[in-house]
Amino acid sequence: MKRLTAVAALLSLAAVAACSGGGTNGNSTGGGGGVYTTVDINKPSLDVNAPINPWNPKGNAFWGYNAMRIAWAKNTLTDPNQFYPGIAASWDIAPDNSSITLHLQPGNKWSDGKPVTAEDVKFSVALAYTQGSTAFAVDPGAAGAASDVEVVDDKTIKITQDMKNPSVTFVRGVMDAFVVPQHVWQSVVPADFWDTLKAARGDGPEAEAARGQIKALSEKVLAFAPAQDVSAGPFVLKRMNPGEALLVKNKNFYNAANVAPDQLKLLNTTGNEQIWNYLTSGKLDNAPFTAVPADVMTRIKATPGNQVIKGYSPVAVSLAFNQAKKPYDNVHVRRGLAYLINREEVTQIASPEGGTAAVTTSGIHQKAAREWLGAELDALEPYKLDPTTADKEFAEAGLQKKDGKWTLADGKPWKVTIHIPAPFSDWVSAAKAITSQLTTAGVDAEVVTTADYPLYLSELAEGKYDLGFWLIALGPAPYNIFQRLYGTSNGWNILGGKVKHSAAGKDGNWMGGPETIDVEGVGAVNPGELTAQLNSVSGDEQKAVIAKLAKAANQDLPVIQLWDYVNTQFVNTNRFTGFPEDESDLLRQPSGVWIQLGMIKKKQ
Amino acid sequence: MAVLLRRLAGHVARGFVMILVVTTISFLIIRSVPGDPLAARYQKLVEQGMAPDAAQRAVEALYGFTPKGGLWEQYLDYMGGLAHLDLGQSLSVPGAGVSTVLFSAAKWTVIPVLAGTLLSFLVGVVMGVYAAIKRTGVLGDLLAISGSLLHGVPQYVLALLLGAIFTTLVPILPAGGTADIMIDPGFTADYIGSLVQHATLPVVTYALAGYGGWILAMKSSVVTVLGDDFILAAELRGMKRSIVFRYLARNAILPLFTILALSLGLLFGGAIFIERIFNYPGLGLMLIDSINNRDYSLMGGAFLLITTAVVVANIAADLLYTVIDPRVRSGGEAA
Amino acid sequence: MSATIVPEAEAGGAAAVRRNFWRGVWRVMRRKPSRMAGAVILAVFAFMGIFGPMLYPDPLPRDTSALYAPPSLRHPFGTDFEGTDVLALVVTGSRYVLLTAVVTAVITVVVGAGVGLFAGFRRGRWDTVLMRFTDMKLTIPGLPLLLVLSTVWKFTGAVEMGLVLGLLGWGGVARAVRSQTLSLRERGFIEAARGLGLSTTHIVGRELLPGMAPYIAMNALIAVTGAVYAQVGLFFLGVLPFEANNWGVMLNLAVFGGGALTTTAALPYLLAPLLAILLLTLGIVLVVDAMDEIFNPRLREE
Repeated sequence: MKRLTAVAALLSLAAVAACSGGGTNGNSTGGGGGVYTTVDINKPSLDVNAPINPWNPKGNAFWGYNAMRIAWAKNTLTDPNQFYPGIAASWDIAPDNSSITLHLQPGNKWSDGKPVTAEDVKFSVALAYTQGSTAFAVDPGAAGAASDVEVVDDKTIKITQDMKNPSVTFVRGVMDAFVVPQHVWQSVVPADFWDTLKAARGDGPEAEAARGQIKALSEKVLAFAPAQDVSAGPFVLKRMNPGEALLVKNKNFYNAANVAPDQLKLLNTTGNEQIWNYLTSGKLDNAPFTAVPADVMTRIKATPGNQVIKGYSPVAVSLAFNQAKKPYDNVHVRRGLAYLINREEVTQIASPEGGTAAVTTSGIHQKAAREWLGAELDALEPYKLDPTTADKEFAEAGLQKKDGKWTLADGKPWKVTIHIPAPFSDWVSAAKAITSQLTTAGVDAEVVTTADYPLYLSELAEGKYDLGFWLIALGPAPYNIFQRLYGTSNGWNILGGKVKHSAAGKDGNWMGGPETIDVEGVGAVNPGELTAQLNSVSGDEQKAVIAKLAKAANQDLPVIQLWDYVNTQFVNTNRFTGFPEDESDLLRQPSGVWIQLGMIKKKQ
Repeated sequence: MAVLLRRLAGHVARGFVMILVVTTISFLIIRSVPGDPLAARYQKLVEQGMAPDAAQRAVEALYGFTPKGGLWEQYLDYMGGLAHLDLGQSLSVPGAGVSTVLFSAAKWTVIPVLAGTLLSFLVGVVMGVYAAIKRTGVLGDLLAISGSLLHGVPQYVLALLLGAIFTTLVPILPAGGTADIMIDPGFTADYIGSLVQHATLPVVTYALAGYGGWILAMKSSVVTVLGDDFILAAELRGMKRSIVFRYLARNAILPLFTILALSLGLLFGGAIFIERIFNYPGLGLMLIDSINNRDYSLMGGAFLLITTAVVVANIAADLLYTVIDPRVRSGGEAA
Repeated sequence: MSATIVPEAEAGGAAAVRRNFWRGVWRVMRRKPSRMAGAVILAVFAFMGIFGPMLYPDPLPRDTSALYAPPSLRHPFGTDFEGTDVLALVVTGSRYVLLTAVVTAVITVVVGAGVGLFAGFRRGRWDTVLMRFTDMKLTIPGLPLLLVLSTVWKFTGAVEMGLVLGLLGWGGVARAVRSQTLSLRERGFIEAARGLGLSTTHIVGRELLPGMAPYIAMNALIAVTGAVYAQVGLFFLGVLPFEANNWGVMLNLAVFGGGALTTTAALPYLLAPLLAILLLTLGIVLVVDAMDEIFNPRLREE
């Protein structure tokens, strides 16, 4: 009997082996610089069927490892024009942001031995046009778009901004472009691309047709699958299985001498619990932040070599209102709720390591808020836990208290229903904690989860929820920050450089806030138009606009800011050293960037 | 033989119609799944720090991979593609054909489930005979109850318990993946060892979950055969117990083969919980992923594969039944 | 999702069984004390589902200073992520789970037996149509279908959930009841009754159903387990809207929020609902075993 079982098991295994096939090339010796193991924050779930293509959503081109940008943004709090070198070694930015000249890394070669040239960059810019980017946009009137790309010499390229509608984000838009080898991708882009682009920039039916042609290319570019990885990054993809990807050092990389690991392993994760397992077993040299329960955190910290690094993360989470729904159209109801939520406790329960309770609602992460607002931050109403004031606010809104429970003005029962996408475990526990707090304070409240994020987003946008969680303060660019409060989701769209407001329930306006807000000490403002201005103004002018918007958000409370995320990462110093320190701007780039800059050293 | 062939032809025709109908139904359900995959992609890009307008344009580039036109048009397109065995393009992995994605996931489901099913079949059948013979004793009772319990307990309970034991309390088995990437794939002891190690938890769970059913089925089959005249006659003639046992087992096991064929049909669809819990990248995990990404073509393809397997297994089981038990031939349709 | 016990064509002894029914039940129960235990377990769960939520304050008290507290006398299964007693969660969560299960069982049995009887009794075209339909239902994979359905259709309450599960799950019972009816028919049972001038209602109600009742009852119990598994499973995967007190949600939060498969702190939180499911299964298995012996004369032979 036993033998039979064993035979059956063996047979099935033989079949597994036969199926998985794949290239069998020699033996891979660990040795040398060792193996660096991590989870790619941008693509935590791997897909063996995806092409090696940086534009493909699941593409097996991993930023910082085997996919390169022109330069890596530092994402500093206030200056968008700071970068670490990537494909470009250095750059000159014209004082008025009107152009940027890139000087490529001298002696940088693709992993197949061909040099990386300015032509490669120009070709990649053409690809960027098909995929949409800030700087390389086809549609006329786009802010901060490039007007000309000029190859100066083999290693120099100059990109000029269209000054009809300039933006402070132009340089960032250029630097974010991926660079791929022209000799591999050649077939994707027709030879007359630049003529078509020129035509597309104009007006009339011809331009329309040209734009259509470029759009038609986008699909081809997205789906393009190079037969093998040709990388200008520190690593080249060697092989994958559904659970892991193996990358090996690219000997031709310009800084190869300072790239410590010989091999790099990216692990596939489908859920947070997998990352916890990897961390508690000390497998990962670096891991991006995931929501971690306290006890798991203790275990992770107890694992030899594991360390926690914390930095700034330009994200905050908020409880957003649909002001088209009663009673949330009344600012006093929103304020009353803000006074009843104990943000410290919520953060403690939901995200003790990865967040700090919001100091107030300003729409900006507290770190950035300090930089932008200075002392004015302290002048904002902090909405500290205060049931008495909450009662006053509710009373002012006309709500009634019956037997210790708040009801609507007409005496009908009032239930605060908070919607949450089920897969976000920290949000689920936060929302549960909030409902418990509210219920204790006499406001009936419940949590309803939605199966997944796409469904959550579409139902949110359709205005089906009264209250939901919403990420805000997505910096560092100030426009991006306030666009979360006073952008499409609240009715303001920018079309052809003009701001337009749509009524609640139309064009994706689910927040349904008022078009103008009477801000104390400032007067009536149109927050959407102010937000749009952030694209073009700079310096003190920008600070003044931000101050107005922060005040408006603080007073009108389109959302209640709950906690500001902290970029908490895990590193293990058993095998490698030289990881970024706390608060380093490199924490906002994947470990591939640390490695390619030569920071990471093998432990001696 | 002619009877068999005619029967086969009838089954194939009916099976074809059934697949057609089921495909239509699942098409309708899947297309009514709410949620906008492009909106989700947009949010993700913005959360990764892309400027909103750039993210908007990047998402528009994906638009070409979403189904277009009215429902009827989409349906015709889909069915037209099916006729050429073209299941369409995946939305979450633009550029990858649905059939490629399906087959690369299917092998990680089929082989472990198959191994688990065969393992549990073999053990369950033997235990079932004992349980039937000793059905009045304590051992038989224990076997039967354990079988019922294992049969009754849902797979995820078993998986969670095994997971808690072998990855949390005594962490000796890997909690996910298929093989160690550092080992070169190939027909080497290292690689196969790694595959086995990674597949152990899923396979053992399948086996445990299936075992109960087999022991119960075999027991009841043996009990039925025990009452048959020929066994009685054999016993009266004073045949050796071991020979009686063999008679018993042989006759009792026949009906189980049809159940085995049926359970093989459920092979593709039956692994969702186990794959989710052990992060094993088979069809089940792929289906969950495709739902989360609103990858309609992939969802449809997975459904088609799962249903076709059930239909084919049904046909096989029925033919098997005909071969085993000639009495059924006159009936309309059976198991 | 649900298994089906296929009846052996053995309704001939129905009359005899009925006569000694209660004496038989008692004998069978007494012969194996484990079966008594099964009945007791089911009684406890029924009590828990009906009265459990009344035993605890609503909302359940939280103790934010004891998140994931280890098991103690006060908290036999520790506390959850916000300091609520896990045992209290299991008890209060049982109502939703069991209510769904009961609704599912009722629908499965009523629709399944109805369709099966009708098809087997009428035969001919109706039989063909109904059985084709049943086949189709059995072909569509249950769990994947539920996964997709749960995104299309919000199962907002226990009853609605049970309704969906019941409507998806009656195929097996219909098949079994039909083949049972056909086999009785083939033995000239029905013709004989007809010959005696008995009405259809009488034949179905007095002659056919009593013989099949045990199998139907057993299938009902099995449908209960099937429903419990399906809904707890869906909540566990996180595809259904959150219901605070529910075993499946507990499993989900324990594994994907609390790291029960990573560290031991949340393990009691995971084990408590698992134990509840195991106990419920055990109870049902023991009772079905007893019923099997009561109603299946062959098993009674010794």
